[in-house]
Amino acid sequence: MSISLFLLLLLALAAAAYVAGRARAEMVAGGDIRRLHSLPRQHGLNLAIAFALPALVGYAAWRMAGAGGGLWSTLLILALGAASALAVWLALKPETRARNEVEAATKLFLIACSVIAVATTIGIFLSLIFETIAFFQKYPAAKFLFGTKWAPDFRGGSDLGVIPLLWGTLYVSAIALAVAVPVGLFAAIYMSEYASPRVRALAKPAIELLAGIPTIVYGLFALITVGPMLRDWIAQPLGFGTSGASVATAGLVMGVMIIPFVSSLSDDIINAVPQSLRDGSLGLGATPSETIRQVVLPAALPGIVGAVLLAASRAIGETMIVVLGAGAAAKLSLNPFEAMTTMTVKIVSQLTGDTDFAAPETLVAFALGLTLFLITLALNILALVIVRKYREQYE
Amino acid sequence: MKDHLERRMTTTDLNRMTARNVQVYYGQNHALKDVDVDILDKTVTAFIGPSGCGKSTFLRCLNRMNDTIQGASVEGQILLEGEDIYDRRVDPVQLRAKVGMVFQKPNPFPKSVYDNVAYGPRIHGLARSKAELDQIVESSLRRAALWNEVKDRLTAPGTGLSGGQQQRLCIARAVATNPEVLLMDEPCSALDPIATAQVEELIDELRANFSVVIVTHSMQQAARVSQKTAFFHLGHLVEYGDTTQIFTKPRDPRTEAYITGRIG
Repeated sequence: MSISLFLLLLLALAAAAYVAGRARAEMVAGGDIRRLHSLPRQHGLNLAIAFALPALVGYAAWRMAGAGGGLWSTLLILALGAASALAVWLALKPETRARNEVEAATKLFLIACSVIAVATTIGIFLSLIFETIAFFQKYPAAKFLFGTKWAPDFRGGSDLGVIPLLWGTLYVSAIALAVAVPVGLFAAIYMSEYASPRVRALAKPAIELLAGIPTIVYGLFALITVGPMLRDWIAQPLGFGTSGASVATAGLVMGVMIIPFVSSLSDDIINAVPQSLRDGSLGLGATPSETIRQVVLPAALPGIVGAVLLAASRAIGETMIVVLGAGAAAKLSLNPFEAMTTMTVKIVSQLTGDTDFAAPETLVAFALGLTLFLITLALNILALVIVRKYREQYE
Repeated sequence: MKDHLERRMTTTDLNRMTARNVQVYYGQNHALKDVDVDILDKTVTAFIGPSGCGKSTFLRCLNRMNDTIQGASVEGQILLEGEDIYDRRVDPVQLRAKVGMVFQKPNPFPKSVYDNVAYGPRIHGLARSKAELDQIVESSLRRAALWNEVKDRLTAPGTGLSGGQQQRLCIARAVATNPEVLLMDEPCSALDPIATAQVEELIDELRANFSVVIVTHSMQQAARVSQKTAFFHLGHLVEYGDTTQIFTKPRDPRTEAYITGRIG
């Protein structure tokens, strides 16, 4: 029996158990549900859970053990659930605490969901670690960490230094932040302090729309509009080079992409600054801009730093805009109008096409992934710590 | 303490502020109707009345803090030293430097004690040198009866003080800009009785230099600290007169009902 059919059957039977539990509770109550400890629907839910939980756990265990899937074993598992439900059904008395049981089951379900999220992170981390260890057995770690040349060659003898990629990543992210932080922050100040509620109700979703545009569309924008524009109007006239793909292009477009991260979070944080502080400052005869500069922004600063760090980790992980905007050549250069590339782009290019998962040229992708993961993790933790400190201040 | 406070009588009958025929609307809601009040120089004026009667609204009219509220509009005339404060030529920012305000909840800025007090003088350029600023800060804190408690921790954050100290810090902050009128919106409602007594004593001392207007829910407080009292009810100014007269021989039956505890 297929999984979907089994789940469908399970759902139907659980619904039946629910109806049966409710009817039984009403019967036990003798028509007066006030005599019950819990409401009839809670008894129904309790019965449905008593049926579905053992059946699901049993089925999962059976499948994981490699056995089962047959008609008879499936029926056996359903019978197990039915037996458990029957036991609850028989034991149902007016004073049965079905509500508490259902609450406990709800809590268990919520815990399970949280565990899945955390376990996935740990799983990703572990898979990266193991592959990275495999990589370092084939390629010296010092050469990876401090090598300034990136020239992979699947025939062997490649240079896999991370420095040019790290440089590209940080350079592009820095340009993106240089665009996004002032624009986003000032937009947030306008929206939270000056805009009327109507303007704000329109402008805030409009800015957040930027975050909803797929990054590949941003990439196209960088490739066909921003790149040639920067080349023809700035790079060539000033003699910075003739490359259409450049760090500046990717940084600029990525900066636009992360504006909503900065503006939306900063706006929320500025709004969380108590009105009483603004009143206090205005009441002393300060102008609105003095109030913002001297009272509101200092109070909101830790939160704003948190918002910027979250935006930074988004920028560091970005791939598509870099491929189309900055190109794929790993280079160590200060010229912002030269093509460079980032770690994410190289991860993609090392893993696409025919890959041999024993070669260091492929395994290096995992080491790059781990490096990236650690950078963004550190930024996120830093952001969380700062934001938490800020929250303590005003609650 | 009541005796001590009553010794000091009203020293002048000079008008600081005059309000005539003031109406306030919040959108469609007519919140305040036909209010006429005189704020006398070197006098404490108390606004009393049940919640929602418009006393805080009127207080906020006196330094145009209602301007910061969406949809609020004010009609009628409010004069400060003979000048209409709602005149087009009046800058509300300058007005608020002359008519200071202390709020219901202590709201020190997340800065040091010193910077809190120095905030107003710095903005308005009141001090020519660091020494002069130091002196303004010290005298303001002394006036607010806080100097002895904080003189050794002027660099500590103002938010770290106790509730009563925070409120006195806010008073020092308002006093530092040297206003002509000081508005206080229920300044003691978040304080315990001891801190309240300190603030009340302080209000009486401030009277030597400023006109003080205080909104309060406590009729005992109004009787203790004020020389003039205005009673508001449902957006109307019911009665305005000497505090002793309001509390002993109220003319309006509604005032009598309120001060004897039958309404409100």
